[in-house]
Amino acid sequence: MKHKWILSLFLALWAGVANTADTLEVDNAWIREAPPAAPMLAGYLCLENRTDTPVTLVGVESPLFEFVMMHRTETVNGMARMLHQDKVVIAAGKRVCFEPGGLHLMMPAPEKRLLAGDRVELDLLFEDGTKRHITVPVKAP
Amino acid sequence: MLYSKMKSNIATRVAGRIIPVLAALWLLVSCSQPELPQLAGGTLLPEARPLTPFTLVDDHNAPFTQDSLRGQWSFAFFGYTHCPDVCPNALGALKRVETLLEADGVTPLPRVLFVSVDPARDTPDTLAGYVAYFHPAFVGVTGEDAELKLLTRQLGILYGRSPDSSNDKDYVVDHSAAIILFNPEGHYQALFGIPHDPQKIAADFVAIRDWYEASQ
Ligand SMILES: [Cu+2]
Repeated sequence: MKHKWILSLFLALWAGVANTADTLEVDNAWIREAPPAAPMLAGYLCLENRTDTPVTLVGVESPLFEFVMMHRTETVNGMARMLHQDKVVIAAGKRVCFEPGGLHLMMPAPEKRLLAGDRVELDLLFEDGTKRHITVPVKAP
Repeated sequence: MLYSKMKSNIATRVAGRIIPVLAALWLLVSCSQPELPQLAGGTLLPEARPLTPFTLVDDHNAPFTQDSLRGQWSFAFFGYTHCPDVCPNALGALKRVETLLEADGVTPLPRVLFVSVDPARDTPDTLAGYVAYFHPAFVGVTGEDAELKLLTRQLGILYGRSPDSSNDKDYVVDHSAAIILFNPEGHYQALFGIPHDPQKIAADFVAIRDWYEASQ
């Protein structure tokens, strides 16, 4: 009886994972190598939702950074501003890219400077409570 | 009868004098004013705008004024080092512009200035390390807010602390994303809006420089 309960819990968790984190394609992820004095870093990635239900990214975490913000650069009448994004929705069947001049991850540079070739661990957090772990290279474009 | 004949005689004589003068003037104007260049994306100010005085500081702690812009072409971008997306994009684009111009044999290369509009956090020392990462010849410039405004207002460059900012340390700054071009007289000559395409900026620079030199 107890085993059956654990099994169903496991299945439920697994289903949760399968619903979001595992069914989402993540590609083109990278963090921009920054100048020595740069206090902030930017990261980029693409998310593709191949399911028929929307997926909502609500945050990003990393042991390396104090915090990771989701931002969107918006240029209106030549004025660039960065707007905080509480969540990013990837509609069913759609692809959303964080890329230079648009959506980006923004985080404080760690004490030890990141250089092209380094790899960074990130967790993508979704609204349904699931997580997706990714390893992201640092690149100098 | 006599009167009207006299009048038409005068008219013929006046026209006979004026037409050659006008023709000469037209020739002079059309020779000394070469046609405006066709630009791929930039906006040219056919009447370059002289700058009124301002006093900033460069990344070697030397004064940087309107006179510092004389003697060579300069690109300028206005940003801040806490800006990890737009500013590296623009400086990376300007680095490629310099590489393209160098490959085309352009000498001297235009200078590139990165003007920090966040003097509270960006010191000349911070800027020195920041700009050198993109290109050893890039120059960082900053200064007191009042002096920065003396310059930016003349260029239509806007900036300000974002109301979206959470606190006094981690604020973000909204800023115009245009690249400004100054001619060797230190006058505001052209601007390049977003997106910054290095190929187009390099081609436009050559067109503007050739037009400027032909106009001298
Ligand atoms: Cu940002």
